[in-house]
Amino acid sequence: MRTKAPEQVEIRIPRRAELVRVARMAACAIASQMGFTIDIIKDIELAVGEACANAVEHVRVGDDGPDEIIIRFTLGQDELVVEVMDRGQGFDPEQAGKGEADDSDEPGGLGLFVIRALMDELRVDCDPATGTCVRMVKRRTK
Amino acid sequence: MATSLRIGARTEGNDIAILSLTGEVEVANASQVRDAALKLVSGGRKYLVVDLSGVEYMDSTGLGTLVGLHKRLREAGGQVLIAGAQPRVRKIFDITGLTQVFRMHEDVSAALKEVRG
Repeated sequence: MRTKAPEQVEIRIPRRAELVRVARMAACAIASQMGFTIDIIKDIELAVGEACANAVEHVRVGDDGPDEIIIRFTLGQDELVVEVMDRGQGFDPEQAGKGEADDSDEPGGLGLFVIRALMDELRVDCDPATGTCVRMVKRRTK
Repeated sequence: MATSLRIGARTEGNDIAILSLTGEVEVANASQVRDAALKLVSGGRKYLVVDLSGVEYMDSTGLGTLVGLHKRLREAGGQVLIAGAQPRVRKIFDITGLTQVFRMHEDVSAALKEVRG
């Protein structure tokens, strides 16, 4: 018997803070359609919002490539995988999101810290040539 | 695309400012919150009560803004107090450990009670 390939939904938004909401709304709609609970839907919305906010903030200086963020949702049988990709300069994935927030007002890493807390998996790939991909997974609990 | 945030501001005496936020506090509008708060405390007010009872969504950029304001007021001997955070918003304070930084109150009245001693 052939296993059905996971469906994918991909959206592209210009890299503008005002449009991060579009990605959040898409995340809510997809997570809802997959049957996640409202609490989990809101966690996924926040995680996607944080990843897109990171993409907005880490602009690559002097890049002539498309100034957009690609958000790819892969709807698996038991999990939702979200990849947020951009051509930004990114950050150090080894350090990002590991420490607990303190009362400094440094924004770096806090968004990834939040994603790590909300999602089941988080992986950040930064490539100087192609940009940054934040990949996160939320599994359906049985 | 318009962002869905409304900002209300008022003062109580010479020391206290109250910022009431309604809607979503996020990367697209956190700077508006910072600007409104700075204007409100610019006359030397040391305590800023931020009423989050009408906030449905807050991201880490919004949190970072509150942290920056808190740091600024603390240097002047004051602080930011958080009032009325709903469970969804309270959760982001919890997971980032910022409930250890901010005084969290059930509502504005409780926050004002603390400031006034």
